[in-house]
Amino acid sequence: MIPDWKLERFLTGDLPEGEMHEIRKLEATDEMLAQRLKLLREDNKAILNKFPFESLAAKMADADATATNNALRFNFVKFAAAAVLVLAVALVAFMTQRETVVTGVNADGKGGDIAQTQNLQNMQVAMNETASDTRIKGLDARMEVWKKTTSGIVQLQDLDEVYEGDEIQLRYAVPEKCFGLLFSMDGNGALTLHMGDGVKAIELAPGKMNSLPFAYKLDDAPYFEKFFFVTSPKEFAVEENDVDKLLKRNDVKVIGFTLKKAGK
Amino acid sequence: MVYRRCLQLLRDDAEASDLMQDVFVRIYSATERLDMESPSSLLWNTATRLCLNRIRDKRRRGLDVDSSSQLLNIACAEDECDDYETKSKLAKLFSKEPESSRTMAVLHFVDGMTLEETAREVGLSVSGVRKRLRGLKAKVKTLEVQ
Repeated sequence: MIPDWKLERFLTGDLPEGEMHEIRKLEATDEMLAQRLKLLREDNKAILNKFPFESLAAKMADADATATNNALRFNFVKFAAAAVLVLAVALVAFMTQRETVVTGVNADGKGGDIAQTQNLQNMQVAMNETASDTRIKGLDARMEVWKKTTSGIVQLQDLDEVYEGDEIQLRYAVPEKCFGLLFSMDGNGALTLHMGDGVKAIELAPGKMNSLPFAYKLDDAPYFEKFFFVTSPKEFAVEENDVDKLLKRNDVKVIGFTLKKAGK
Repeated sequence: MVYRRCLQLLRDDAEASDLMQDVFVRIYSATERLDMESPSSLLWNTATRLCLNRIRDKRRRGLDVDSSSQLLNIACAEDECDDYETKSKLAKLFSKEPESSRTMAVLHFVDGMTLEETAREVGLSVSGVRKRLRGLKAKVKTLEVQ
């Protein structure tokens, strides 16, 4: 019988791929194992409800407030992100069971919040990459992030600092005809869709840089705002409660771009 | 995972929730030294260590401890390699230095991890784990005799 500790690792996705694969296969055929995993997932959900992230975040903030070292403060975002990842990993697979709320879909159906204030699994996904996390799986698709200022607009670099209220303009280009989806995740774990047909990717034409038809105003979410530009030759959609599933697909290319929230 | 781990070792809901939060705060407070190569292991082992400390502290204060005798023996075993709190070796907690022998003992004897799995969890060689466990086992036996 697979020991509990290994099932815990399985649920966090923190086992070697071979073992992950083996347990996935067993889950499909072994009723007892499937039941054990089901109970663990339900328990994760119950634990998350009982101990909401906010209460832990407050304690973490208290811990941070006691720190007097400026250097530590400088690294707050990075460390907070690490801690949040740790938290997310620990509380784990709960999000596979969690419902999400779709709100504020634009009239044209091509944008809107699919916010989930405690979407920690999504936050885990957002934090899966490290500080130097502009990366391209695949080639050539591009995303640019610009900020509106009183004197015009400036292009931002990965890990630049931004403030609540800053207006962000996103631009993208693809090298060939494909499907694309652009969304972001903030430090609260809220997912916002910037470009797509609801949660479905839309067809993109190759060529010059395209600007999204609207700017995105940053709210008061702490720590970071991370943008994902996902493309694929095939149609796809993002599941609001399992972003990781999309990002790990072999047939998609992902560009990530992280902005740090100053003073958060 | 962390809550379940704390509950498994402490067998007390209130203490488990308290320790769970402590685990996250400790990790957050030591993020400079955080080794994120295996976050699950970090959480699991940190929870284990803090629970062992809690069990030992309660025992020292003469409070009732609802733990198996095996776990109690491990928790109360003298282990010069851990006791980070009292020796101000917090830095060791999250560095790549080996886990405490007591934590290794719980992973191996309580969780049922093989030596290889324990070694992987704590970042030591199998022979290193075996050596540490042998040392602790001798002390645990002594405690049993007492």
